[in-house]
Amino acid sequence: MFRQDGKRFVLVCFGILLLGALGYATDNWLDIAVDGGDLSTLNPYFANTTVDRSVVHKAYNALIRYKLGNIVEFEPDLAESWEVSSDGKVWTFHLKKGVMVHDWTNPETGEHHPSYELTAEDVVHHFQIAADPNQSLNASAFKGMTFKAVDKYTVQFVLEKPESANLFLPKVADYMTGLIVPKKPYEDLGPDIMKWMVVGTGPFKFKEYRAREAYVLESWDQYFRGKPKLDGVTIWYVPDLNARKLGLMKGDYELIEGPPSQPWVEEMRALPHTVVDVFGPGERVVFFFTATMEPFTDPRVRKAVLYALNREELAASLGPDITEITYSFVPSSLPGGLSKEEIAAWDPDLLYETNIDKAKELLAEAGYPDGFKTMTICSERGQYLLPTQNFAEQLRRIGIDVEIQIVDHATHHHLIREKLDVSPIILYVCWRPNADVLLTQWFYSKSAVVVGESPIQNYTRLGLVDVTGDGVVDSIDPLIEAARAEVDPCEQAFYWKLANLKLLDWAVCWPACIQLFTWARNERLHYGYDLVADLTLSPRITEQTWLEQ
Amino acid sequence: MLGYVIRRILLAIPTALGVLTVIFIVMRIAPGDPAEVILGEYASQEAVEALRKELGLDQPLWKQYVDFVGGLFKGDLGKSPINGQSVSLLVARSLPYSLELSLAGIGLGVLFGLPMGILAAVRRNSFFDYASRVFSLLGLSFPTFYLGVLLLLLFGIKLNLFPVVGGGDLSNIADNLYHLFLPALTMGLIMMAYVSRMARSSILNVLNEDYVKTARAKGLRERAVLYKHVLKNALIPIVSIVGVYSVVLIGGTIMVELVFSRPGMGKMMIGAMKQRDYITIQSLMVIYAGLVIIVNLLTDLTYGFIDPRIKYD
Repeated sequence: MFRQDGKRFVLVCFGILLLGALGYATDNWLDIAVDGGDLSTLNPYFANTTVDRSVVHKAYNALIRYKLGNIVEFEPDLAESWEVSSDGKVWTFHLKKGVMVHDWTNPETGEHHPSYELTAEDVVHHFQIAADPNQSLNASAFKGMTFKAVDKYTVQFVLEKPESANLFLPKVADYMTGLIVPKKPYEDLGPDIMKWMVVGTGPFKFKEYRAREAYVLESWDQYFRGKPKLDGVTIWYVPDLNARKLGLMKGDYELIEGPPSQPWVEEMRALPHTVVDVFGPGERVVFFFTATMEPFTDPRVRKAVLYALNREELAASLGPDITEITYSFVPSSLPGGLSKEEIAAWDPDLLYETNIDKAKELLAEAGYPDGFKTMTICSERGQYLLPTQNFAEQLRRIGIDVEIQIVDHATHHHLIREKLDVSPIILYVCWRPNADVLLTQWFYSKSAVVVGESPIQNYTRLGLVDVTGDGVVDSIDPLIEAARAEVDPCEQAFYWKLANLKLLDWAVCWPACIQLFTWARNERLHYGYDLVADLTLSPRITEQTWLEQ
Repeated sequence: MLGYVIRRILLAIPTALGVLTVIFIVMRIAPGDPAEVILGEYASQEAVEALRKELGLDQPLWKQYVDFVGGLFKGDLGKSPINGQSVSLLVARSLPYSLELSLAGIGLGVLFGLPMGILAAVRRNSFFDYASRVFSLLGLSFPTFYLGVLLLLLFGIKLNLFPVVGGGDLSNIADNLYHLFLPALTMGLIMMAYVSRMARSSILNVLNEDYVKTARAKGLRERAVLYKHVLKNALIPIVSIVGVYSVVLIGGTIMVELVFSRPGMGKMMIGAMKQRDYITIQSLMVIYAGLVIIVNLLTDLTYGFIDPRIKYD
């Protein structure tokens, strides 16, 4: 009898395992594991973390979009064409017909709302919200603009001052507040529900949100580019890298977010049926010198530091496959950025090719023949810590001892943005979409931390202080403003290049390199385009994305 | 007995309030603004200030504290400032996953650890004794997250027997157990090591007592000596250690849930910490503190059942 019971027990156990395995069988559904505990906000007027974008970009569209795999050129999205008036003040967009908004059910009232066609009224409503500082993160981008529905399918943006295509088009493209929230769902759901529920026109629509576990989207049959090849996508919030990796190996996930780490890339490449994507735009690694803190007030000290540093060495330590070297504050991949050759042609000295003797000479001239001790506040994240450790190690050669004070990432942000002169050296790792945003956030006088009119991240307080020691306030404000007012893209880029050269000349920062994004996927997954770079900061999943069966 | 239980529960209230207060203060004085974390790097100062106001972070600390404690008494844990979800609902969804994991871990540990310890003590210096001691040593030395990864690699990847992520569907017992097995084994193995070690040493101590020798001298069978005289007397320290390590195990679920990506309170806690979701963190801490208090209470009550000499006065 006991033997019979034993057999039954084994059979039941086997059945349980089989049932579980069947439950896990995947079909045409894509499972993505992202590095995060949960979403922050999916309200497109505020969503900007990589984790949130991974949902938002699947559910919403913009008037135009960056070409797939490209971060500079645009192509139509909701608009089929657009034009600008001769004075550069009126931009007109002609909408595609038959673009359908997802149907949705209000989770509070239970009322179901059918799909409807997106029109100019939705677009105008969206940008009116986007321009309201109380309802939008990026309202300043739309300052002085009015929005008009000329007819059902035509929208006009009327600007106070003309703007070049370089500056205007990114604002209405699929990046941040350019993603259009249709009017009716926004009014029905309100900003609170839209924190976690997405209703747009994109290839995937809301199915389910399991807080701190997963976000489920299903394919939108009426998507204007055609029904998606996938049945749906689940974005799993998996903060543990190892869990993501094991999930990929096991087949629970087809796509996982990786860290910017060379060993991880090599480890994943060695796995069978696994493809590693290393792609841009990546995150710029830039060290800023607080030119108001001793001894960095002396330009000779800052230049000595630049001569002591070696970009190739830093890139090698971070991983040659995942790092690209940069020479100007605005990277050369963006209009207004400078390549090594361009800088060399202008003034080879501005490249600060590594020269330890010259660095020591400059330090001695500045009164520090034996070097000095300084510090930096650094985030605990690997993408901050590893470059900082290498930076400190390199400076040891000229006697500069950099004490690294490690804090958690949120604290790092809080300290460097809300305190004045908190750290003589500040590393910032990030991407921004164009030269104007980059130069404005970090070097425009109004952006000076704490004391600026609209404080952002100008730690050096450039534009308010003298950084060259000649008794005159140094500023690139005129160049930033001239570029903003310029409608000719070439002229505009020229102003930005001049601003970059000034920054190099004043040695206020060390633009070191770009850390590329690393994701791994099962070879069954095909994006449907060549992933070179994407402003969603993750592999874009489109209606063309498919899973090999 | 009932009076004792009530007294213990009443005593637990100031403990819980103390924990809550400490957590509340630590979360508020820690640098790193939730509004900045939510809005991210692009946020302007105006946007951050507006969100701080919306989240009530501009209110005086005492008011935030009173609101939170008041909400707790009403059974309302508040809304997560990050995702706008009701924390009570989030907890209700994740608590079963953590609870089943803790119980399964403790259950496995006691179920296998106790017999292992008894056998090792009875067969002292035998091969089984040596093997169980080596096992205990390994169990005590392995951090849970490392053991979890090893089990995942072996059973999940190499042998492909169990899933490596998720908690399964709670309404589907088979699926749920299928997902629970490896995480529970991870916790159970550690618990087993503690229990078997304590059981062995405790039984060895009792085996040398005079009353055991007397029992044997009276001609009682070895099994009767063991169950009636040895085990009953050895159980008190074993129950103590089970109580203490159950508390440790409840805390240990955080790491195990992270490794196995289970949607329990541990994973929720890590996510909330990363996002500075202080409302969720506070609520979870209160629940963890509550669980610890309950386990301690149960441990104390168990003493009385094991040893009738213990009074609850």
